[in-house]
Amino acid sequence: MKDTTKTGAGTRQAGSADALGANSEIGRKLKQYYDELVSDEVPDRFAQLLAQLEQVEPGRKKD
Amino acid sequence: MSASEGFRTDLLGAIPSLRAFAVSLTQNADRADDLVQETLVKAWDKQDSFQLGTNLKAWLFTILRNEFYSQMRKRGREIQDSDGIMTARLAIHPSQHGQLDLKDFRAALEQLPEDQREAIILIGASGFSYEEAAEICGCAVGTIKSRVSRARTRLQEILQISGDEDFGPDAISAQVTGSSVR
Repeated sequence: MKDTTKTGAGTRQAGSADALGANSEIGRKLKQYYDELVSDEVPDRFAQLLAQLEQVEPGRKKD
Repeated sequence: MSASEGFRTDLLGAIPSLRAFAVSLTQNADRADDLVQETLVKAWDKQDSFQLGTNLKAWLFTILRNEFYSQMRKRGREIQDSDGIMTARLAIHPSQHGQLDLKDFRAALEQLPEDQREAIILIGASGFSYEEAAEICGCAVGTIKSRVSRARTRLQEILQISGDEDFGPDAISAQVTGSSVR
């Protein structure tokens, strides 16, 4: 336990961002998982909702 | 008129990210879209409080996240808080050489406590800095760092345990895991 944790955790902990970077399997999968969600087609209901909101309160922000 | 139109355009542009974050939190597409809808309405109502020049995406993520946790509380759903949970310590392995299935990964992600899941998503996928993520989650930067680190460790554990053969022959890490557990 002593030696393995040292080499493993020690080197990786140096840069946490790097540990999730392109050369880590977890980092790559995480991006792949998320990118797939982001590229999902957005349903029309959201554009409609925003258009409605804008119509209901057109002068909310004072000019 | 033009101000609110610009705001609307900005909100529209943020929807794909908001949906991705919402799905990551809720693990459910329908609930995620309801959450996004609620977020947009709230953001619209509060648009005067948004400070121009600051990060709109971070502001929206904060609203969405608050909405998510307040809905969970209303439902009486207990919020998982990993701070008190002891996570088994295994040696961290060098990056895997085998192929990891996205489906397995999604299942592993689902097993994480919410606070760890959101932290690793914000940092590792949504592109926020630790400072921004801390602001979104209303906690210290160090807390985000430790959640991300625990999430990563946990994912590695889960994926090794549940998907051993997907990684192919990996005698060394098997040995390491075996010896460190004992």
